Amino acid sequence: MQRHRRFIAIGAVLAAVAAPLAASAATTSHRTNVTISFMEAMSSGTQKPTLDDLTQNFESTHPGITINLIAEPNYGVLQQKEEAAIAAGDPPTIGQAYENWAAAYASAKAIIPLDGYVNNKKVGVPKTFKSHIWKGVWNDLFLPDGKIWMWPFNKSDYVLFYNANMLKAAGLSVPTTWAQYAAAEKKVTTGGSWGESLDTGTLSAPANGTLEYLAIVKAFGGTWIKNGKPTLDTKAAVQALQFLDDLKTHGALQVGTNYPEQTALGAGRSAFAVSSIAGYPYMLAAVGGKFNMQVAPLPAGPNGGEGNAMAGTNTVIFTKASAAQRAAAWQFMKYLSSPHATAYWAIKTGYLPVTKSALVYMKKYIATHPYQKIAAEALQYAGGNPPYAWWTQAEGYVAEAMQAVLDNGASPASALATAQQKAMAAASS
Amino acid sequence: MSVNGTLTARALGISRSRRHSRKGIRNGRLAMLYLSPALLVFLVFTIGPAIFVLYISFFNWNLLNPSQSHFVGGGNYTALVHSSDFWNSIVTSVYFVGATVGGSTVLGLGIALLLSRRGIVRRIVRLAVLTPYFTPLVATSIVWVWIFNPQFGLVDSLLRLLHLPEVGWLQSTTWAMPALIVYTLWHDLGFTVIIFLAGLATVSGELREAARVDGANYWHEVRDVVIPQLVNTTLFVVVITTIDSLQAFTQIYTMTGGGPLSATTTTGFLLYQQSFVFYKTGFGAAIAVVLFVVIALFTLLQLRLSRRAA
Repeated sequence: MQRHRRFIAIGAVLAAVAAPLAASAATTSHRTNVTISFMEAMSSGTQKPTLDDLTQNFESTHPGITINLIAEPNYGVLQQKEEAAIAAGDPPTIGQAYENWAAAYASAKAIIPLDGYVNNKKVGVPKTFKSHIWKGVWNDLFLPDGKIWMWPFNKSDYVLFYNANMLKAAGLSVPTTWAQYAAAEKKVTTGGSWGESLDTGTLSAPANGTLEYLAIVKAFGGTWIKNGKPTLDTKAAVQALQFLDDLKTHGALQVGTNYPEQTALGAGRSAFAVSSIAGYPYMLAAVGGKFNMQVAPLPAGPNGGEGNAMAGTNTVIFTKASAAQRAAAWQFMKYLSSPHATAYWAIKTGYLPVTKSALVYMKKYIATHPYQKIAAEALQYAGGNPPYAWWTQAEGYVAEAMQAVLDNGASPASALATAQQKAMAAASS
Repeated sequence: MSVNGTLTARALGISRSRRHSRKGIRNGRLAMLYLSPALLVFLVFTIGPAIFVLYISFFNWNLLNPSQSHFVGGGNYTALVHSSDFWNSIVTSVYFVGATVGGSTVLGLGIALLLSRRGIVRRIVRLAVLTPYFTPLVATSIVWVWIFNPQFGLVDSLLRLLHLPEVGWLQSTTWAMPALIVYTLWHDLGFTVIIFLAGLATVSGELREAARVDGANYWHEVRDVVIPQLVNTTLFVVVITTIDSLQAFTQIYTMTGGGPLSATTTTGFLLYQQSFVFYKTGFGAAIAVVLFVVIALFTLLQLRLSRRAA
């Protein structure tokens, strides 16, 4: 019975998603059949069935368009498969892509700019739609040439998970500044518990800890890049790394690998965990109802500076697609970002809606999951990966600087100077 | 024998040798026919890509758009010679290969000697030593990541029990490589033990008995009789484990990602990092060619030693 109700509920939401699209489908009806392929990594948990639902719904409202989903197990494999397909001259029609991947693809002329579709009077999106896309998400669609190369799909950002019981026992309220956060972490640190655990990541694979640090850099008034060049050793960057090093020295911050923030918070050993909101279901599973876990926005910097790192990908259209496939692909990409569809995607998967218009359709959900609104609103100022192919390497050097300081006793200034030097070499090579 | 008879015999000899040579040719062709599917697979998936890697090592290769690639001659090899990352990876590889080869040879021989003695628990121990070798590298690497976890891992729990300071095994530039070596030895020791057990089976029992009659204790018997007869087996183990260690990748990828601070970036891992993380495909191909030459030399050495042993 419960199962039936769930199906009815899903059906109702999908019907709501379908209704406004039926009209637009009628105006853009396709006389010939077009098949497009979408290479994606939304293959785990609720992501796969939700994307299947949305795809089926799109196909039913756009007769003549067939979508073949090509699911990959994770982003690493997705990137390799996309690149192998491009190299082999047989890429999919569209694919998920991070900003720095898109930069490399565009440089190799493997994807097309989308301005012609986005700003098209007939098939494009109206000004109001554009203005409702979160500012951080909108800025993330451009490459340095000023053109729109990507369209938003699955977005998330970083939030502060905390053990409410532990904070209450210590007489602490939720920190709203990084200074309060440091004081709270030190206060909860005793023999058996500590403030937070993080993974610095490595040169080859930056991790959540790398992005936490980069978010703090922004909150401290720093930048990651400026005028197309890395800025890894600014005063704010040094202060941010010094901030983490100080916590490590006090035993309030522990370093580990394999999602240590999840393990430590889940085990009731750490009070905080900084992680992507998309990790909420995993964090909840780690806690397993042992205590009251809550979510708050990331704290602000010394001058009220807000800093956050955006995660998740956009979609791109590959050059090899035919004109008909490109047109159909754009319809599908536009559909995925529509308020109804992105709301449905967010409710089902824990990702964030890419437009603020979607919040209207998420009222009931937000009432029971208030953290979604907190995280979604942070997309206003969250920074995505800088859209340069060399950023992959630069981010790795940031991870290395963190390892040098937090695990191996280097000074933040010298570690970041080394990172900057290497990143500059990567940027100019 | 008459002239005619001689001629007939000669004619018979010629026709027999012709028949033989025709048969030989036919057999050769048949052999080639039977071999051709395997040969084709080998050419397409091994030889062809290897030649292509050599080719792209002379280019600044754009993986995504080969038409944007340009010929740089020996530029990638020059860059390799001047790359501190490359030389660091060589030092790291020597450390890793030296420790794993030395460790697996000494421990493998020691365990094989113990297992070759009679005892009730011998079969259980043999099974225990061999089992890790048959487990998947990725799965057991992840288990060891947790064993080495500083807050929740078994190793640090034992240290805390002994009131010793915690060690961030996989986070420390000092301890990450020893941790990786311990895991690799745990996983691969079974192979060397099998080889040494096979070698021990060929050691002359009469010589060992003669040594015992002459008053040699167990240690003298092993040192003066057993080990000298295991020279070829030991050389085989050294060469094979050296090649395996040079190719080690999975445990490095899973446990340390080449870090911290490149402390576990072997040449094999550097090749992956440059080619598939930073997409410096031409440079990565040059590393692959150098690694290929080194491994080929060890393979030739192993072949020569095998022939000598035969």
